[in-house]
Parts: sequence; C-alpha cells; structure tokens
Amino acid sequence: MEEAKHAASIALENVTYRYSIGTPFEKAALQNISLQFEGGIITGLMGHTGSGKSTIAQLLNGLLQPTEGKVTIDGKDIWEDPKKISQIRFRVGLVFQYPEYQLFEETVLRDIAYGPGNMGLPQEEIQRRVADAAKFTGITPDMLEKSPFELSGGQKRRVAIAGVMAMDPEILVLDEPAAGLDPRGRKEILGGIRAYQREKKNTIIIISHSMEDMAIYADKLMVLDHGHVSRYGTAHDIFCHAEDLKRVGLSRPQITKFIMELQKAGIPVESGIYTVDDAYHEVLRVFGEKERG
Amino acid sequence: MLKDITLGQYFPGNSVLHKLDPRMKIFLIIIYIVTIFAANNPLSFVLVLASAFVLMLISKIPAKLILRGLKAVFFIMAFTAVINIFWTSGEHLLLDLGIVKIYMEGITYAVFMIVRVISLIIGTSVLLTYTTSPIALTDGLERVLAPLKVLHIPVHEFSMMMTIALRFIPTLIEETDKIISAQKARGADFNSGNLMQRAKALIPVMVPLFVSAFHRADELAIAMECRCYRGGEGRTRMTQLHYQSQDIVMLIVMLSFMAVVIALNFIF
Ligand SMILES: Nc1ncnc2c1ncn2[C@@H]1O[C@H](COP(=O)(O)OP(=O)(O)O)[C@@H](O)[C@H]1O
Ligand SMILES: [Mg+2]
Repeated sequence: MEEAKHAASIALENVTYRYSIGTPFEKAALQNISLQFEGGIITGLMGHTGSGKSTIAQLLNGLLQPTEGKVTIDGKDIWEDPKKISQIRFRVGLVFQYPEYQLFEETVLRDIAYGPGNMGLPQEEIQRRVADAAKFTGITPDMLEKSPFELSGGQKRRVAIAGVMAMDPEILVLDEPAAGLDPRGRKEILGGIRAYQREKKNTIIIISHSMEDMAIYADKLMVLDHGHVSRYGTAHDIFCHAEDLKRVGLSRPQITKFIMELQKAGIPVESGIYTVDDAYHEVLRVFGEKERG
Repeated sequence: MLKDITLGQYFPGNSVLHKLDPRMKIFLIIIYIVTIFAANNPLSFVLVLASAFVLMLISKIPAKLILRGLKAVFFIMAFTAVINIFWTSGEHLLLDLGIVKIYMEGITYAVFMIVRVISLIIGTSVLLTYTTSPIALTDGLERVLAPLKVLHIPVHEFSMMMTIALRFIPTLIEETDKIISAQKARGADFNSGNLMQRAKALIPVMVPLFVSAFHRADELAIAMECRCYRGGEGRTRMTQLHYQSQDIVMLIVMLSFMAVVIALNFIF
C-alpha cells in the first residue's frame, strides 16, 4: 500500500465576515459559520447565489480576514502571525471565479510559471511543475508558447487553473471552475482536477452549483444555506433530501428526477442514481431483466 | 482597500440637496467657491466653515463618509500648512529658530488655508458629488455649457465622454481589486522591495486591467452603434429639467451668504 501522505484539513470556526465595515454599505456575508473541509478528498461546496461561497473561498487563503472567528489549517489559526499570511497563500491555492482576466504574461508558459516563481523555487522545479499542471489541465505543448490573449475563453480558463495548480498547494480551492463552459469543457476541466487530486492526494474544494457535476466529481458535498451548513455528506446522503435542496434553491440532478419519474410510472429502477452513466446501466438492467422475465 | 475611496462618489438619498436641479447645483457651487475665496477675516472663515457643516447636515450624508474623504487629502493639507507656517513673513514674530522664523501671520494663513480646503471639499462633495448622480451631473453640465455650442465646441460629446468615464470608475475600481486579489493568490507581493521591484510587481495588475478596459471600450462602442447613437444632434431627452421653488430659495440663500461674507471684508 502506498504510504498515505498527510493531507491538510481546513476549517472555519465561528466565522463572521462583514463587507465594507464602517460604510453605509456594510453587509454581513457570513454570520457565525463553522465548517470543516476534510483532508485528502474533493469537497463540493454548493449553495445558491449570494450564499457566501466566494467569501468563504477568499477567507480560506487569507485574502479576507474574518471579522470574527478563526480560519484554521489542521487546527492552527492562519492569522496567528499576520505577517506570514503570504506563506498561507502558498499552502492554500485559490482559483477565482472567471479567472481568465488574471493572465498577463507574454506566453502561456510564463504565465503558469508566475505563481511558482513567486514562491522562489529553482528553475528546473518550476519547469517540472508547469509541465505537470499543463498535463492535468489539457494544455498542449504548442499552446504553451502562445500568448494567453490569443486563446479561447475555455483555454484561458485552463491556463489560469494551471497557474495555481503549478504552485502545488496543500489545499486547492476553485471557485466555479466550470462556470460558463460547454459540457465537454466542463468535463475536461473537472476531470482534470479530479485526476490531479487522485495523484497528489491533496485537499480540494470545488465551489459549484451544478448538482450534476458535483455528484460525479466530488467525494463529499457541503450545502450552504443562509450562511450555515445545511447538509454535509456524500451525493447519496444529500440527494435523499429533496425538500431540503429545494428550500436552499438547488435541485437534484435532472437524471435523478427522471429516474424517480420512472419509479412513479411503476418501473422498478433503483433510486440513488445521480449520473447519466449509472442511469444508463440501471435502465439497461431493468429492461434487460424484463425481456428475460 | 481601493473601494474605500469615497471622495467623489454618489450617495443616494432624498434630502433637499439631492432634489435640487443639477444646473442650479453647478451655479451654487460656483457661488460657494467664490465665497470661500472671498473670505479673508476670522469671522468669515468661521461662517464659511459653519456653512460647510450646515450643508453636510442638510444632505444627511453620514459625517463619517465625508471625513474619510478629507483624510485622503490630509497630507496635502498638512504640507501646505507647514509651508505656510515656515515661509510666510510678517510683523509679529513668534519663534526664532535661527534659519526659520515663525510669524503670527504664517499661522493665521495656515489656519485659513486649512479652513478653505476643508470647506471646499465638504461643500463641493456635499453639494455636488455625493448628492448628484453622475448622470444628472453631466446632464446638468451639458446644459449649462450648451451656449458654447455656438463656438463649435462639442459640448455633447464632452459630456458623453464624462458620463462614460464616471460610469466606469466603480467598475474599474472593482476590477482592479479583483485582479489584485487574484495575483495576490498567486503569491504577488506589492508591499516590499525597492521602488523598481514594486513598479515591476504592478505589471501583473496593469496588463489585465488595460486589456479589459480596451475590451470594454470596444464593446461599449459597438453597443452604442447598435442603438444608433449618432452624437447630440437631434437627440431628445427622457428627463426634462425645470427649476423648482426650492432651487430659487437655495440660490437666494447662497447669494445672501456670499453678500454677507463680502460685506464682512469691508467691515474688518
Ligand atoms: N465586495 C463585496 N462588497 C460588498 N458585499 C459583497 C462583496 N462581495 C460579496 N458581497 C455580498 O456578500 C454576500 C455573499 O457573496 P458571495 O460570497 O459572492 O456569494 P456566492 O459566491 O455564494 O454567490 C452577497 O450577499 C454579496 O452581495
Ligand atoms: Mg460566487
């Protein structure tokens, strides 16, 4: 058995965050929230728009400082020494929502190397990491030599993700990495992130509001509602509670709804189907049986 | 963060000042500025300062917000005050430090200067920027300047440019904030190193910012083209401006105030 490397877990403890403190626009985005992301797995963080997902993402890597409460990695407060907060940013990578705009270098290669370069790594190590990150994000060698500004939107997105992956953080947070992409682009990016996690065995948090995607790519799901965690568990645990989901403004995958309609119509399919692939096998199984019977 | 810069930002509300005709506000501001610079004795300065605070109260804009705007120019004020104190000579010597001599006149000038700057900032921000939406402001400006069209000055185009510029300031600030955060997440360090290193650290912020600004400008131009924008000629307006009784009252109050301050100059 491969020796399991310790994967860091990160948590919010009674965190309150207010934007624009001291102005008339002051607004509490999070109110006394506590949650923990387990180490070594992919957690899908879900919630409706405005539920504070992006705020959590920025709290996790110290871009925002909690108004009250603590952010801890393996139990240690990241704000213990505010001067060392940039070290935390190397440990917790964050890919922003629509990260395409952050590209600036002359070539894709140099842009991906920007983060590792800031970490002060030796040149060979940087090159190795860039190649690694390019592999997981599906960036081809000829793309590496191009200017990031001549790429398509989806390609820019990959470059931006690769730029953070190349920093090889212990914890990687991605804010809606697949938003606005076509199904194939979504699959490639999310699949790449999963492959990356399976190899590095690090801790990954993917923010999304696509139940379909998270059912496939995340190990555990966490559902936010009005600034607190309303559900946490595997896809199966979460999708059993349809009413709950509706209340927080999310819905079950369409394929699950479809399977339930089949059940209602008296076809003996199993419940607990969240992906099209599973549905495909289940339907084949049932109808295959019928033919035999 | 950058967003906290509030100097020159519209603050919605429904005070009398918010409801004034933007053209009238422009006239009021001019009168007010003239008054501030006409003041030249202690009593007038007290009046000017008091009027600034009265305007602030009428506007119902939180004092905190305005004081923050003042903080932004604090250094300029301190600097001019110091210059005034050390470089003004007069008759009443207070302190002789050898190279520099401090005179009573210098201190008076410094205080007057500070009062002027404070009143100017409070007055203009409360009368104009905080209480007038950018659209109303440029609209008012365009109409006040309309007579210049006779001289073939493209007043409409200037005001449209200003409207667009004002419209995009918050967007650009937000965008800059976002890009700074994103680059910080990639380990960018904007706060250490020498001047050269710091300037270089800004490249990852400036490049994306310019790229997106040009992009936006392009899109806006296309969108305007699609809606058949052809400049000001023959263009009608959705809102027609009419002076109300409150505009006239404010004008009379402001003119009287100026008259009082100028009269005080003759008395002292
Ligand atoms: N920069 C900001 N300034 C003020 N309020 C903000 C800012 N960013 C987010 N908010 C507010 O905080 C709340 C949570 O936002 P966010 O974390 O972006 O949610 P989500 O990512 O789940 O859509 C929202 O109500 C939003 O209006
Ligand atoms: Mg968000």
